[in-house]
Amino acid sequence: MRVLYIDNDGGGFADYVDVTESITVEQFFKDKMQGRKPDNYLIRVNRQPVPRDYVLQENDRVTVTPTKIEGASI
Amino acid sequence: MEDKKNLIRMADKIQEALIKLKHSRYLELMRQLTSFASKLQEFTAESRKMGASLVHGWFTAAERCCSRTSRMLNDISYSISQIQQLTESPQKKTPKLSLLVEELNQVREEFGNVDFDKAESTVSVVTDPITLDDVPLGPFRIQLELDKLSELYKDRPYRVIALNPNPAATDEEVTHPHVSGNKLCEGDGCVTIRAALEEGRICDFFTVVRSILNTYNPDSPYVALYDWNGEPCYDCGYVMSREDTYYCYYCEHDFCSQCSTYCRFCEETVCLGCSTECPHCEEMVCQKCIRRCTECEELCCKSCLEENICPNCKEEMEKENEEQECKIAGTNQNRNPSQPDTSEAEIKLAS
Repeated sequence: MRVLYIDNDGGGFADYVDVTESITVEQFFKDKMQGRKPDNYLIRVNRQPVPRDYVLQENDRVTVTPTKIEGASI
Repeated sequence: MEDKKNLIRMADKIQEALIKLKHSRYLELMRQLTSFASKLQEFTAESRKMGASLVHGWFTAAERCCSRTSRMLNDISYSISQIQQLTESPQKKTPKLSLLVEELNQVREEFGNVDFDKAESTVSVVTDPITLDDVPLGPFRIQLELDKLSELYKDRPYRVIALNPNPAATDEEVTHPHVSGNKLCEGDGCVTIRAALEEGRICDFFTVVRSILNTYNPDSPYVALYDWNGEPCYDCGYVMSREDTYYCYYCEHDFCSQCSTYCRFCEETVCLGCSTECPHCEEMVCQKCIRRCTECEELCCKSCLEENICPNCKEEMEKENEEQECKIAGTNQNRNPSQPDTSEAEIKLAS
């Protein structure tokens, strides 16, 4: 099954990705953001906050945005 | 109902701006390609100059060609990266109006409100008050300027305005370690912000900017947070950055450059109050290197003292000596010339 994954951590690109059926949003995050803590991210499915055991559905829109991003001075 | 209409108006304006942005991407690419082509022509010219230099044995001219080429190579690599950025990401589809309305609804949920200024053509949100490393910076308005969205490839089409500003003591323009003159330096968020705006992901744009505002990068701030309140000069009160202060080891306070100096002997930084100007050579001297004349007890630098005596006393002493010598000489002259010296008498007797 396919979901739209928007990763605002790196390039901020939106892509459709294949995921296994009945995958939870927590597992999806672990797969995509290996070694990162979910607490440091704003995770939205279909623009809404969801519980960690939410099971992703076909064509869901998953957005992952870090809550901390380093700015600069130039 | 009115609220929904307002959101649709806002979405419509954003869509219009995104269509213009699409066009501006191609315009920018054309501009970059023209500039790239003219740079390539410069290389051809440089190659001709190098050839002529070698034929005539003009090695200085050849060396100049080398440094110009090196400079041009830097420019060209920057140009290439700019062109790559514009060409590598495929053209984004302009989002539908309904999608943009959804975006704006999400912005409202994330930020509590979203404002649309029709006259100024801006969409803005307000963050919660931000505090970084115990420095309160207040809330910020993130204001997306739709009329400037088409300039995304040249400039930032949004402003970050401190609503309850607590600017850095040394620079009023700096309202956040990464904001100067209402412009955010995006750092790691640069590509993400651009991608979000290109795709009309307005909510992602606002949340990414908020994430940058909620983060302090100590490696690259306009003004470091530890220096946010600046350091006042102990003497005149002028507020400066810690890096610009001069510490006086004698009174143990920080001073500005105007209120401090350095000892011309030990080169230690010292404030004007803890240093003394030598009355003879007029150089500033610290308390450790200043000496007292053993005769008049006047303060004087080490180099002006001679056997612990200042030049004035030395001069007086020399005068006195001279006078004494004169006196002795005068006494001798006043003696009776008919009475010969013993030595003369002895000489006469001997002869």
